[in-house]
Amino acid sequence: MAEEMASGRRRPTRWLDLRGRHEGAWAYALNRLTGIGLVAYLYVHLGVLSLLAHGPSTWNSFLATSKAPFFTALDALVLLGVLFHSLNGIRLGLTGVGAAVRWHQLLLRSLMALAVVLFLVAGLLWSIRG
Amino acid sequence: MTEEAASIDLEVLRYRPGEQARLENFSVVVAAGAKVLDALDTIWATQDHSLMFRRACHHSSCGACAMRINGRERLACITAMADAAQEHHPIRVEPLHNLPVVGDLVVDVAGFFARMTASDLVITRTAEPELPVSVDRLPPPLRLRQVVVAEDLGRFTRFESCIECGICVSVCPSMAADDGFLGPAALAGIHRTREATRDPMESAHLLALADGDGGVWRCHSSFECTASCPQAVDPAGRIMSLRGQIVSRRWGRLWRR
Repeated sequence: MAEEMASGRRRPTRWLDLRGRHEGAWAYALNRLTGIGLVAYLYVHLGVLSLLAHGPSTWNSFLATSKAPFFTALDALVLLGVLFHSLNGIRLGLTGVGAAVRWHQLLLRSLMALAVVLFLVAGLLWSIRG
Repeated sequence: MTEEAASIDLEVLRYRPGEQARLENFSVVVAAGAKVLDALDTIWATQDHSLMFRRACHHSSCGACAMRINGRERLACITAMADAAQEHHPIRVEPLHNLPVVGDLVVDVAGFFARMTASDLVITRTAEPELPVSVDRLPPPLRLRQVVVAEDLGRFTRFESCIECGICVSVCPSMAADDGFLGPAALAGIHRTREATRDPMESAHLLALADGDGGVWRCHSSFECTASCPQAVDPAGRIMSLRGQIVSRRWGRLWRR
């Protein structure tokens, strides 16, 4: 810590220290975390799809396992990550080229409200279809 | 009118190069309306003469006393002890982030000012001679009023409000991860200088600087600089405005081909 203080060199994880920070910094950190999470999910997804190469029995066995509540919770987490990352991406895309900068907070809150609505609709559809 | 004095506890980060940083506790008796800077002054005067901290104007004009109080970047001269004590007990006082610490609460601002002058232009306090009304020529009773109503004054005063306190650098998550980033204050300065200049070459040079390595594209749009700026300079808004101008210029070039 002494070396870090003297040099002003940053800890690589300082962006995760959100104490005393405002909503923009929270959105920034969440965007990074969901981005990392979604890239990790992509590889898991490709790994799961590779089970198809092992024949129908392996695939059917995985499908039966994937209906467990744990996997449903993971699916919900992925959906939340996708919704946050994509909708926040719209805000970043707009403000990043100088558009709607004055309303960036309103934009963030509105898009997050939309994310919650879309998540609830997805949950409703999932429960109806079983 | 006398103000009731109260004893308030603080924990202050103590650090010297080569030593481990530690928090040291102090109790000070201060007046009810005292600011955190008053408490630090009292500690220095009555308890520990080795405490290092910066201060000058005591009224939020110089930016020297910027520090982290209860985890938030603020000016100690305008942060009330009573409010800070309600937030956290004891009040925690630490130096700014993302700048080398010289000792205790003092950070090395050389890198910060080097970035501020990256454009090779003096970007602070240069607008006064260009003001539409020369304040010095006015009779004293009219000075304040004339300055306030002077045409187009807002264009000059927004960045003039920057007191170069370094708070925007401390709160910026991009600065925390990227040494090459010019930072919010310097980019706001480039934007402000570009607004003031009438020279197209200078304007193009400044935009190229903002578009270059270490420029506006390294900002990750957390808007934390704008949210924390004690002078409402809006560095993030200026960075986004520069981006908009760069995109417009590129878009225009694309269609002219």
